[in-house]
Amino acid sequence: MTVAAGIGYALVALGPSLALFVSVISKKPFLILTLLSSTLVWLISLIILSGIWRAFLPLNSATWWPFAILLFTSVAFQEGLRLLFWKVYKRLEDIMDAFADRVSKPRLYLTDKMQIALAGGLGHGVAHAVFFCLSLLTPAFGPATYFVDRCSQIPFFLVSAIIALAFVMVHTFSMVIAFNSYAEGNKVDQLFVPVVHLAAGMMTLINFASGGCIVGIPLLYLMAILTLMHCGRMVSRRLTENHRQGSS
Amino acid sequence: MAMKIVSLFLLFIFQFRLSLSGQMSSMESVPDLQKSMYMVVDGFPCVRLVNLSGEIGCSNPGRDKVVAPIIKYKNTTELAQPSAILLSMDDVQGFFSRISNDSSFARNVGGVLVESGVEIQHKLKGFSPAQKFPQAEFSPYHNTTYEWNPIGSGIMWKSYNFPVFLLSESSTSTLQEIAMKNEKTERAYTTNVAEFDVVMQTTKVGTHDSESCLKEETCLPLGGYSRKKMSFANRSDVYSYGDITILLRGGMLRGGSVWSALPPIDRLSSNQSKPIILAVASMDAQSFFRDKSLGADSPISGMISLLAAVDALSHVDGLDDLNRQLVFLVFTGEAWGYLGSRRFLLELDQQSDAVHGLKSTLMHLVMEIGSTGRGLNQGNKTFFAHTEVSSASNETLDALKLAQESLKSDGVTISTANSSNPGVPPSSMMAFLRKNSSTSGIVLEDFDTIFANKFYHSHLDDSANINSSAIVAAASLVARTLYVLASDNKNLTSSALSAINVNASLVEELISCMLDCNPGLSCELVKSYISTTNTCPNHYVGVVLGEPSSTPHPNQVDDISRFVWNFLADRTSTPKGDTSVCSQDCGKKGGVCIRAETDGKGVCVISTTRYVPAYSTRLKFDSGTWQLLPPNSSDPMGMLDPVWTESNWNTIGLRVYTVQDAAYDRLVLLGGITVTVLAYLAILLTRAYITKALKQD
Repeated sequence: MTVAAGIGYALVALGPSLALFVSVISKKPFLILTLLSSTLVWLISLIILSGIWRAFLPLNSATWWPFAILLFTSVAFQEGLRLLFWKVYKRLEDIMDAFADRVSKPRLYLTDKMQIALAGGLGHGVAHAVFFCLSLLTPAFGPATYFVDRCSQIPFFLVSAIIALAFVMVHTFSMVIAFNSYAEGNKVDQLFVPVVHLAAGMMTLINFASGGCIVGIPLLYLMAILTLMHCGRMVSRRLTENHRQGSS
Repeated sequence: MAMKIVSLFLLFIFQFRLSLSGQMSSMESVPDLQKSMYMVVDGFPCVRLVNLSGEIGCSNPGRDKVVAPIIKYKNTTELAQPSAILLSMDDVQGFFSRISNDSSFARNVGGVLVESGVEIQHKLKGFSPAQKFPQAEFSPYHNTTYEWNPIGSGIMWKSYNFPVFLLSESSTSTLQEIAMKNEKTERAYTTNVAEFDVVMQTTKVGTHDSESCLKEETCLPLGGYSRKKMSFANRSDVYSYGDITILLRGGMLRGGSVWSALPPIDRLSSNQSKPIILAVASMDAQSFFRDKSLGADSPISGMISLLAAVDALSHVDGLDDLNRQLVFLVFTGEAWGYLGSRRFLLELDQQSDAVHGLKSTLMHLVMEIGSTGRGLNQGNKTFFAHTEVSSASNETLDALKLAQESLKSDGVTISTANSSNPGVPPSSMMAFLRKNSSTSGIVLEDFDTIFANKFYHSHLDDSANINSSAIVAAASLVARTLYVLASDNKNLTSSALSAINVNASLVEELISCMLDCNPGLSCELVKSYISTTNTCPNHYVGVVLGEPSSTPHPNQVDDISRFVWNFLADRTSTPKGDTSVCSQDCGKKGGVCIRAETDGKGVCVISTTRYVPAYSTRLKFDSGTWQLLPPNSSDPMGMLDPVWTESNWNTIGLRVYTVQDAAYDRLVLLGGITVTVLAYLAILLTRAYITKALKQD
């Protein structure tokens, strides 16, 4: 498929993340640190999960329910880690606020907190994209292409890049929603994030069916756009509330 | 909103039947993915051979791999771009003649894949890529336009600047499917291509004749001293072979002609003046595809007849008392300018170590056993004795008649060849006659005026092309004739003759060992003498690496030569049963070590069996390189010798995979860039909006 196509696939999967990094994250060192640490946390979660699941591999690919169980346990574990991540962040936030008070500098703004959440989410998303798409992309730089039987209209590498992009969106914005909901104590939103994560994961099971990717991928993007819209609504609500609070 | 999503989701789950038929190929890593993208195809290549005046054979046109879409050939095929042509056997002749006539068609031939299969073979009436008079330049008579092989198309003697592969049976069906997929074009932006890697060093360096390529060390001379094995992905029986300066040379094997005396010649005795009866056969074959040179009828059936005759004669008592000495000789390299026989005759003149015990003055007559496998005609086994018009071979003919008498009940007949034939057919006898036109000699063949072998020097000359009962009959004929000749009519009784019987099951076993892949060289007979990892036998002569000598190390000799040497040494050894474990003084008491690879240190037997190197008389190995000697009028055949060499190569491979159009690749790149830019713009817009919203008072 040559170098051009390889770069194209990499950009499809990670281009928006790159754009986000360059325009928002790279400006503040703390965000870069947050991104890196959340990437690391996500990868560690994968290592632990693979360690636990090693005993049950290889899974029989003729049935779909072992994969459903795998996805469920993985999502549950990662959501648990997200809670832990939030708790660590809360402690850090308290430390930073105390420090700011001591040096008579302003405390973290709402936008700062949201940017930290965004960086955390982006870390998760980038880790997913790198692990599940970029690592498979090396053969894409060679002359040959590859088509999977059950999704024979689109090259395999394109499919994996598109799915990776959807998951980047899901991870990035659901972290913002999650942090916000933990801060506000909003139960509905707290449930929203794991449910959407699980649903997005289960959507990929549709790819098992012959020709399933034509249905599965649009559904996955539906989840991603849902997350994006919900995040946007929540952010604008919080900002206007905050602004009103601040000005009143 | 959430409820709507969930209901939609459930709807899809239930409406969509998850069809999980068929097992997914399990891939566990990225290298597995890479391997499944590129399918390595099993095949036999045609390589580049070089002589003094030019080249023949096939090669990639340059230094790069050839990548071309696969198209099935039909008579009406027109090529719009360089393509890989999938050719069936009945189209081969037509295709190659179209190549030579239509240059615009030939320009678009990127590579050729030839199908193979058992049904294909039955359909074909004959196929021979050899010339109509093979090696006519060496004939001792002037009529060089006589067509011994009228089916011969001569296609293997032309030069092609594209690679040609013979596919194995399994690859043939795979590639036929792929060619059909290409035709149907279900996806407009992909094609299935074949990637040929047959880059020859002589093409890379630009040495297009033997003299320059030997000097530049980009080629090696053909000869029975080395079998070059190719590097071919996923073939376990091949190694890599390449340029000396860049890569290690792979496991080069050497072989050579083999001669054996029955009974063993007493080295210490000064009375070595018994006239010699020489029984000759050859063991090398030729084909368009170097690794599929079986040569079942021509010449292996003759070699098997000779080996079976030796076995039959080994059970005869009193050979010591006969007037004449029997010597058996199996040449290699005969198909490439009679290398084995010419070198043997030269060594005989020089009285070298390799031929110690033989003298050219003692050569009484030569009996060559050519092809014998097609001698079966409606239950009768008929053979023909070809002799040079002027030589006095009445003695041999009389002996043959006596043998025929004793075999009358088996329906074996021998007749003299048609007098309208210009002389002996292409055979090692030509070399003997060119050297000394008064040599008394006979060539035993299964044909009269034209070859009975319709697949002469092709990859289709396999065990299905011969009949074992014809070989047994020829072996009986040869064994009894040799006994008559050796006894020189002294105390010859018909009972003694009828006691000489050929073991038919030995012949069957030799056929299955030498000409089939199953059991091939892992058969019991071969395994009892040599140890080898190959199973499929191949009789291509190979190349000579390094200095040829008459005492090569056993692990430098190729499988067939080693087997023949061991077999002859075992059968001609005396006394039977008197064997001991091999030690240093085995050679001193006139013995040789047989079964050295399979039976511990080996067994020492008293036998006169030697290797003789087989390479062109125009070449000399001097201080690490091959030198071309100038033509010498005392070596008339050397003056005619084309001096065949084979180009070196790095690897040879054939892969098939799917490629996308370049336009599609560019589209993907554009898509990626667009997604990135759009995302960046969206982020900027959002940031601007938020900043504006925050600034609003």
